[in-house]
Amino acid sequence: MSDVDEHRAVVLVDANVIIECHRTGTWGALAGGYRVETVEDCVTETQTGFQHRRREEEIVLGELRASLAAEHAVDNRERAELAIRIHGIALGKGEESLWAHALGRDDEWLFCGPDKASLRCGVRLELRDRLVSLEELLESVGHRRRIALRRHYRRR
Amino acid sequence: MPGIIGTRIRALRKERGLSQDGLAQLFGFKDRQTVSAIETGVRRVTADELLLAVEKLEAPLEYFTDPFRLDGEARFSWRQSGVGQSELAEYEQKASQWVGAYRALAAQLGRPAPLMRRALGLTRTSSFEAAIDAGERFADELGLGAVPAQRLAATMQDELGILVLMVDAYRGISGAACRLPELDAVLIARDEVAGRRNFDLAHELFHILTWEAMPPEHTEDTRDFGGNRVEQLANNFAAAVLMPRASLDAFGAWSELEMDALISQLNVAANELDVSSSALRWRLVSLGRLTRTTAQAVPEAALRNNGGVTEEAVAPPLFSKPFMDVIGASIDQGHISVRRAAALVGLSNEDLQDLFEAHGLEFAIEM
Repeated sequence: MSDVDEHRAVVLVDANVIIECHRTGTWGALAGGYRVETVEDCVTETQTGFQHRRREEEIVLGELRASLAAEHAVDNRERAELAIRIHGIALGKGEESLWAHALGRDDEWLFCGPDKASLRCGVRLELRDRLVSLEELLESVGHRRRIALRRHYRRR
Repeated sequence: MPGIIGTRIRALRKERGLSQDGLAQLFGFKDRQTVSAIETGVRRVTADELLLAVEKLEAPLEYFTDPFRLDGEARFSWRQSGVGQSELAEYEQKASQWVGAYRALAAQLGRPAPLMRRALGLTRTSSFEAAIDAGERFADELGLGAVPAQRLAATMQDELGILVLMVDAYRGISGAACRLPELDAVLIARDEVAGRRNFDLAHELFHILTWEAMPPEHTEDTRDFGGNRVEQLANNFAAAVLMPRASLDAFGAWSELEMDALISQLNVAANELDVSSSALRWRLVSLGRLTRTTAQAVPEAALRNNGGVTEEAVAPPLFSKPFMDVIGASIDQGHISVRRAAALVGLSNEDLQDLFEAHGLEFAIEM
């Protein structure tokens, strides 16, 4: 896993992470400690009706956007670059868009997405050193959680 | 994915009526060998070439990259009643994703469909008696026992490698048979009563086992009698599979019963065999245990819902254990994300978790 001590580093997060942060009340700590960025599809997936959770979190779109350092659109070229490199891994739309965006960046960034298929994608793309758990990110900004993170968001 | 992209490019090229030379020209390649190499997976497609395919063949990117799509590969035969074409097409897209996902994921897990298929030696010109004989022998040779309905789905899956899915279908859809080059699938509307589900299952089994000799129509009406020749053969086969003559004869002499006793025995026997009383009545006619006149004299209302003695049945869980086992193992191994899996089956994470449990599978989604 990457060194996450450096605050205000760019962290790319997927919808799962945003939802879990809101469930555990840690979104403010994460967004305040890092430059948290995502893609449009992930923002859509955080909204009511798209969360795939029985009990949905109330995530106010305007507030979410205001707290994000950036929300990126993803074009077909980025998607095509990803598609030819991750064959055999079926991601959700937001997860796929986030990796397609990440692959096109040439700066430093960390990737926080809890799903094993997403992690496999990072390994396949030889970007293992960019992967970071939500637990590590929150610890690095000194946040003490009152609600435990679910297993997939913890250090592995 | 080069295999998938190449396969899809070839499928679309053929659909557009283009030769490999024609496609090479369209893509700006210097010769057709490049096209051939891409289509056969010998040469990897670059991102630029993929975008070229999107632009020149006028298809969305997902058409070339989504391993769950079955465009042009699957043939469906729907058993339905009064379902509009656009509605059926929409549902077929959903069903295609389930079957396509199973095919792709099972292969990645090292669980491909059987190399060889079973087939019945029947044709359109076969007699109804031949279809009945085939049904009885099928039940006997595959050891379905005295109540074949109880073991039919598992036997189709385990012995024949047919994917059986219990689905929440649109109103009017009873079920479907689906033929892929390397996989067969049967979909059954799970909210139907058990007798209807079982009959549909055996009926679709007939289509799977005779697909090459007598491919079914894309749509057919849901009914136990009538229809075209193939449907009548399928119904005779289904009745014979589900209602073994030995099981029926164990109830004694049917022809000697008074009407009230006959109705009562029809309903009791149908419930024991998990079939409908009406289907049982006609099976008895074909076996010569009842006369057609007697069968016709039985009031329809007396047989509705097997005489009303059937308790409110609980629908079987969605899809099937083998299907969910493949989904679970694929999530566990990182072939598919939970979010994609949840979207595929149209459930929340928690409902997905419950579905694993309903099929007796231990799998925890902690996300």
